[in-house]
Amino acid sequence: MQLHFAKDVLPDSVGTDFQNLNKFNEQTDRFMQQLTEFAGEHGLSAGPLRNLMKSVLLVPQGALKKNLTTEQVKEDLLTLGVLRAAVLFLCVLQWGQHYAALSRLAVGQTLMVNQLVDMEWKFGVTVGTSEIQKVGNIFLQLKLVVRKGNSTENVFMELTLPQFYNFLHEMERAKATESRRLDCFETYCFHFLKSSLF
Amino acid sequence: MAAALSSEDFTNLQLLLKAPSKDAVRDVCVQSHGALNRRLTENTAATFSIPAAQAAQLVQSLHSLSHHVLFHNLTSPDQILAVFPESFHSNLKNLITKILLENSPAWRTEALSHQVSLPQLKELDWRVDLVTGSDSVSRMAVPTCLVQLKMEDPCPSAGGEPVSTVTVELSRESLDTILDGLGRIRDQLAVVAGK
Repeated sequence: MQLHFAKDVLPDSVGTDFQNLNKFNEQTDRFMQQLTEFAGEHGLSAGPLRNLMKSVLLVPQGALKKNLTTEQVKEDLLTLGVLRAAVLFLCVLQWGQHYAALSRLAVGQTLMVNQLVDMEWKFGVTVGTSEIQKVGNIFLQLKLVVRKGNSTENVFMELTLPQFYNFLHEMERAKATESRRLDCFETYCFHFLKSSLF
Repeated sequence: MAAALSSEDFTNLQLLLKAPSKDAVRDVCVQSHGALNRRLTENTAATFSIPAAQAAQLVQSLHSLSHHVLFHNLTSPDQILAVFPESFHSNLKNLITKILLENSPAWRTEALSHQVSLPQLKELDWRVDLVTGSDSVSRMAVPTCLVQLKMEDPCPSAGGEPVSTVTVELSRESLDTILDGLGRIRDQLAVVAGK
């Protein structure tokens, strides 16, 4: 069978791929727990039901990865033999509605290196030091919380007033660069890259 | 640290009268302001033809005097002259005052730059990338910002590196939040400055 979301023919018993599922860790765990409870309430055995749902989840996962449209997901589900009513429900109502949120979720799973998690700050005036009795300089102290792997690291630093204004200025420039529309050159590079990779 | 000046200190300072020249007085005053070491004591003893013990006391007293002036921010000649006792040699008093006034601004700047502090931000570099794909989404166009911060610790711990570099990645939302926070800091600074 020809599927949009997977080039290879699926094996008879659709295997479970825990690596794929780890991408939706929280949602999957919660979902699986609810499934086990559901099975318990209705006298079903949880194991086969869980395996079944894992196979089912492959479709939206693959669909997100390949940026599929509602039409494509619908076709895939029909090819797989899902009942028409269920397909309609899943695709037309759910997929279209939740695609944006699911996409954001998938994008949010994208690798980030040394991600900035939090920034705390305080500023004040240095009144005096052991060397000079009266000072009166403004200082700003920043604490950046950076995620390194599974743990976080705190980075502390101090800025003078000119350094702070420079920092603010640079961040505004970065923001402006991020926000501006891609100009011709960048659009060309983007398309070139896309066509050479896919 | 600025220790209190005693009459002994001024007695020691009178040893400067044995200086071969005014430049010698200037040199020993300036060098005594920093950390005291044996070499300084030996050089002073040689230059002034005084025993090493007296030279050590002299540089110590000069050190106390210059730090006292710095600590209390004595910026006018009258303020510094008032520190000396009445009986102190008049010309020497004027010379020392002049030397201290000349060097105080530089000493103050140096003290401020070496004061107790968290690592100071020295350099900031950034780069904006457009992430076009990842293992979870094959086609995307998500901007992300990488910021590199170079910090220098003015008082590094023994064996520690003074310069450290941190590179952080910011999502669009993080960058917005940072700018929001920095904007609030700027507004608060403006309020404080206005008062």
